[in-house]
Amino acid sequence: MIEVESIDKSFAGQRVLRELSFEIPDGRITALLGANGAGKTTCLRIVTGLLRADAGRVLLGGRDVAADPLLARRQLGVVGDREGLYERLTVKEYLTLFARMQGLAGAALRDSLQAVRDELELGELWERRTRGFSQGERMKVSLARALVHRPQHLILDEPTRGLDVLAARLLRRTLLRLRAEGTTILFSSHVMSEVAELSDRVLVMAGGRIVGSGSPTELVEQTGSDNLEDSFVALAYGGGATRDANREEAPA
Amino acid sequence: MMAIGKFSARRMAALLHKEMLETWRDRRALWMAVCFSLLFPVMIAGSTTFFVKKHAEETTRLALLGAERAPLLERRLQSDTLQVDALEQGEPRALLAGDYDLVLQVGDDFASDYRNFRTPQLYLYVDSSATAAGRAERHLQERLGSLQQLVAGQRLVARGVAPQLLAPWKLQVRDVSTPSGRGAMLLAMVPGLLILTLFVASLATSVDTSAGERERLSLETLLLQPLPGWQVIAAKTLSVASMGWLGALLAITAMVALMPAMPLAELGIQQATTTAGVITMGLVLLPLALLVAVVQILLALRSQSFKDAQTQLSILQLAPVTLLMALDMSRVQLADPLWQLVPLVGQQQWLKALLVGDEVSLPLVLAGSAASLSLVVLAVLFGARALRRESLLGAL
Repeated sequence: MIEVESIDKSFAGQRVLRELSFEIPDGRITALLGANGAGKTTCLRIVTGLLRADAGRVLLGGRDVAADPLLARRQLGVVGDREGLYERLTVKEYLTLFARMQGLAGAALRDSLQAVRDELELGELWERRTRGFSQGERMKVSLARALVHRPQHLILDEPTRGLDVLAARLLRRTLLRLRAEGTTILFSSHVMSEVAELSDRVLVMAGGRIVGSGSPTELVEQTGSDNLEDSFVALAYGGGATRDANREEAPA
Repeated sequence: MMAIGKFSARRMAALLHKEMLETWRDRRALWMAVCFSLLFPVMIAGSTTFFVKKHAEETTRLALLGAERAPLLERRLQSDTLQVDALEQGEPRALLAGDYDLVLQVGDDFASDYRNFRTPQLYLYVDSSATAAGRAERHLQERLGSLQQLVAGQRLVARGVAPQLLAPWKLQVRDVSTPSGRGAMLLAMVPGLLILTLFVASLATSVDTSAGERERLSLETLLLQPLPGWQVIAAKTLSVASMGWLGALLAITAMVALMPAMPLAELGIQQATTTAGVITMGLVLLPLALLVAVVQILLALRSQSFKDAQTQLSILQLAPVTLLMALDMSRVQLADPLWQLVPLVGQQQWLKALLVGDEVSLPLVLAGSAASLSLVVLAVLFGARALRRESLLGAL
């Protein structure tokens, strides 16, 4: 379970997160939606322990991330908004590195590598250095890195950005399988169809706060909208934005 | 407790392996290190050869105008290193612009003045803007001085006066410098250049592993792993230091390999550096290589961008040479044991001695190396704190 309790964060005097609180139960996929600058990436970075909150705390599996970041990171897999690959390493070397840094060795290491290689269809890329990989290939390797140690919590920042159809489909399939295995998944996205398809629960952020939460269906009902996109716009920008957009699309 | 330590060491070993792979697969950094490491020994060897040949083999060429009025001069001045050409006529400026270093003109009344014991005139023409003029003039003055003493002595003997009366003492200069001492003078710039090699050889790697990783956002991925910050900085320091240290080792080996080809024997310098000497020099430089690496990484991590890091480290690499030159020119006794505890200074002094086969004090080397390593540990801990800076994570 991921528990975010009243976190505040400011940069250079500007308040980015305001008493942000939410819980993500195990075995569920939660999407974090928000306009650019809503504080999604900052929120995810605080959850991963990369940033420290000015106030409040984050618990991963009941453990305070700020108090024991090393222990928290052993239960955590993260796919950031950039892949962070090492272009002079092969895929095998890259994944072995991260598996070993997570403490895997011997047979456990070999089994884990084999598993992510098969699951994410990395066979052809396995012995190649990552320089020159396509966006889809880079994302697959990045996801494999986040999963190689079988973390309880998986956090993804806009994971399908720039992916082709096949890569996005593979990613969705993997996330659904991980949910079935009990992994706690939190991801941010701007793609509403993907959020609607994958998420058990959606958190809508605006101005550093949660302004709406619930399943995609619940959000649509709460806002009286036709679809999730309209619900999001109504919650994140206020109803005016929805009405303005509808007016533009309506025939004269 | 031991199990935790074992796991922690295994994690750091994995990171170190990655850093080494990345470092040694970076062809641009590798070429930069190898080229600079080989370049300066070749330059030293070339310039030494040029210097020695110029000073050991060069002959002063003298044009003697009016030699028929002073045949003694032509005969007595001629030597292996002073070539005298008697010319019937010639314009001194034109002769100096040609093949001659000096022009000596015998006065018109030289013969009669000489016979009548009046002081005859000699006119020496020198082009003081020529690089060899000073040396050539000193050379001729020495020869003329000796000849003058000989003639004066003969005249006194002819009058029944002992020539020693006019010479209350005779000064003889005896060079007491040892071959290793002369070698130390000639090779004085080599330790500074070897230390500079550490900086240059590791520059590209240190920028890539710190500012480069930050810019590519792979540093963020690394910081999400369950490794303490000091292990991240330590692994990066070791890999960067490996590049700098092997660059310096390559330069030392090249320097020692080129020494037999250099005309050091003509200056009385015996090459005393052996394979053991090369290994000792390498070991002496190891703590400094670590210190240079960690300082470069810290600076690069503080910089605004990859390019900014390159600029800052390019300036940093001038610091040791400037500092060592300033200390050399000052009246500070760098051979003093306390000075040898100072990083850079200690290594410079030990390398200077080892290059020409002199001994160095083992306790001093150990104490100086321990001082450098203490600074490395402090810098690694400081670097671990720096990794917690939010500004490291790029755009927020």
